[in-house]
Amino acid sequence: MPAFQAGLESTFCNEVNLALRNRDANKLQSILVLEPPFQPIYQQLIDSLKNKFPENDPKAEKRLEDVVRRMVTETGESEDEEGRPVASWGQMVSFLVGWMAFIRDINLENLLETYERLSDLQQKANSALQHPTKGILILPTLIRYAKVFSRVAIGLDKRPELIQHLVANSITEDGRRESLPEKAANIVRQSFITCLNDRNTAPRGIKDGKPDGKKVGIYKMANICLKILFQADKLESCQTIFNNIYNSSPPLSIYPASERVTYLYYLGRYHFASTNFFEAQLALQKAYDDTPTNPACMSQRRLILIYLIAANLLLGRFPSAAIYTFPEAHGLRARFEPITRAIRKGDLESFRRITNLDLSDEHAAWFSHYRMFYQIGNYCEVYVWRSVFRKVFLLTGQQGVTERSAPTIDLHAVLLAFQYFERRAHMTPAMAQQDAGPGRRHITFVLQDFMPQGYVDPDFEGLDVTPYIKTPDILEMESICGSLIMQGFLNGFISHKSKRFAITGARKAGNALKAGFPNIWEVISKRKSQDVPGWRKEALSEAAGGGVIRLAGARPAGS
Amino acid sequence: MSASTTSKAPVADPKNGNGEAVPEKKPAASLEEDDEFEDFPIEDWSEEETQIPGGNTHLWEESWDDDDTNEDFAVQLREELKKLGQK
Repeated sequence: MPAFQAGLESTFCNEVNLALRNRDANKLQSILVLEPPFQPIYQQLIDSLKNKFPENDPKAEKRLEDVVRRMVTETGESEDEEGRPVASWGQMVSFLVGWMAFIRDINLENLLETYERLSDLQQKANSALQHPTKGILILPTLIRYAKVFSRVAIGLDKRPELIQHLVANSITEDGRRESLPEKAANIVRQSFITCLNDRNTAPRGIKDGKPDGKKVGIYKMANICLKILFQADKLESCQTIFNNIYNSSPPLSIYPASERVTYLYYLGRYHFASTNFFEAQLALQKAYDDTPTNPACMSQRRLILIYLIAANLLLGRFPSAAIYTFPEAHGLRARFEPITRAIRKGDLESFRRITNLDLSDEHAAWFSHYRMFYQIGNYCEVYVWRSVFRKVFLLTGQQGVTERSAPTIDLHAVLLAFQYFERRAHMTPAMAQQDAGPGRRHITFVLQDFMPQGYVDPDFEGLDVTPYIKTPDILEMESICGSLIMQGFLNGFISHKSKRFAITGARKAGNALKAGFPNIWEVISKRKSQDVPGWRKEALSEAAGGGVIRLAGARPAGS
Repeated sequence: MSASTTSKAPVADPKNGNGEAVPEKKPAASLEEDDEFEDFPIEDWSEEETQIPGGNTHLWEESWDDDDTNEDFAVQLREELKKLGQK
């Protein structure tokens, strides 16, 4: 076809060719725009494409390919500066043809069609990225596209009526239905892997302290994948990405701050969801420390802080008053303080109300939305137990009759406390308040009127299910006490015969409280390593003098 | 973000702050929820820009045990514990 017949198409190809020749990846990205509104010159190109290479012409793409191949000579075989052969770049030709077809046909009214066309284009870009030396030129373009692609995928996932047929037809090897966001993430993941495995780089992928070659794209691509998977609530699919990075990425510290923080946020949340709260805390603290205090980054700071507070709470470390004064912490005190108050006091009744599975507490829906409700309910309960033991010791404990005998707690006293709290937790708050009033001595009267309802999950509605009503007994007290000892949160032993818990080491520690009730955070942090799976820190040999890893948040002075 | 009613439905219809469907200007961007970790407006920044006034040394409270035995909660519990040995 004579060049004048494909005038505008040729002009664009020329521009592309020039960018490739100059190895100007950003220029290439700026030419290959994807999203409307298009500037007039693109509108002219689209009109020209529609006119000369219409969608309904089965030969149009072949003809376009000829134009691209002829004009974008950088895609042909060549030699590098040292005379070594450079393979042709046929995938780039397909991609450029795909791009022109995409802008020719794009119809934003149809989200599903847009997704499918984008998916096709993304895969063509992935293939083009694989060229050993030239592939890197398409990386900025590909990252830009992947962001758009992820937005559309996330958007579609929230419109199940549009994608039902797609999801129904996609069954993975292990027989599981693969959701659309997972499919999208898998497509983006291919380019992530290409970046990670780039062999055409300086040793270890680092040059002048910066990531070299396609490795520059590792965290950008990973973060896009993670965003899709998190938005679609497919956290379990993130594991491979974290493993891959842990095993073969250059250290995170040499990447730009925005990529580091974003990655550590997802990594922290992943560990949080996997109940690795200490690892979550390390990643989130670093993410929080490295986020600008600039008001423009408030939403990121807030999200990180919400999970950072939760992770610390689950490790027995509470937010200080200072945290609640930060602008990004607005409203968080009202959410978290009732929980920390209940743990401090050993107020099992309040704790039960806050974590009631029927989500009746005013903040339950919020915690549930942030996917931390069950973690708090399940794991912090243990800390409430410890405080109940402690409070009972303060109120009734024996310091030891002689100087040599150990201070003890009567487990029957602890049982009374547990029964008292559990019983009251089943009452309405009004009822519980009444029970605490002047008439509270007439407990038998209250109990006659009061039948605990228990919790039956809506899933079991209509079935003959008797809810489990918790009524602690002395055996359970021994069991809880044993569990606290095993976890290191109580220091001592149980006398099974006398049903007492005896504190050891009181004389050495100076007092029974200090000896018997070790600090939870200290106990946990002492047995944990600073290593976080998925967080590729500096290699040991390079870390000396690097000083990038700050552990200030993990173990402040005086702890 | 504080309204628990809006934060409860992660799979609900896409909507803007007013709870109405957003016109399809940018098809996917409009579907974002408030728990999405947004892209940073800047790519890189210095450590100075992350400093909290007053530093970040006192963010967490590790020793929080409550020794108060005179406030209502403890007084009520003490009353209850008097039942010990009365059975």
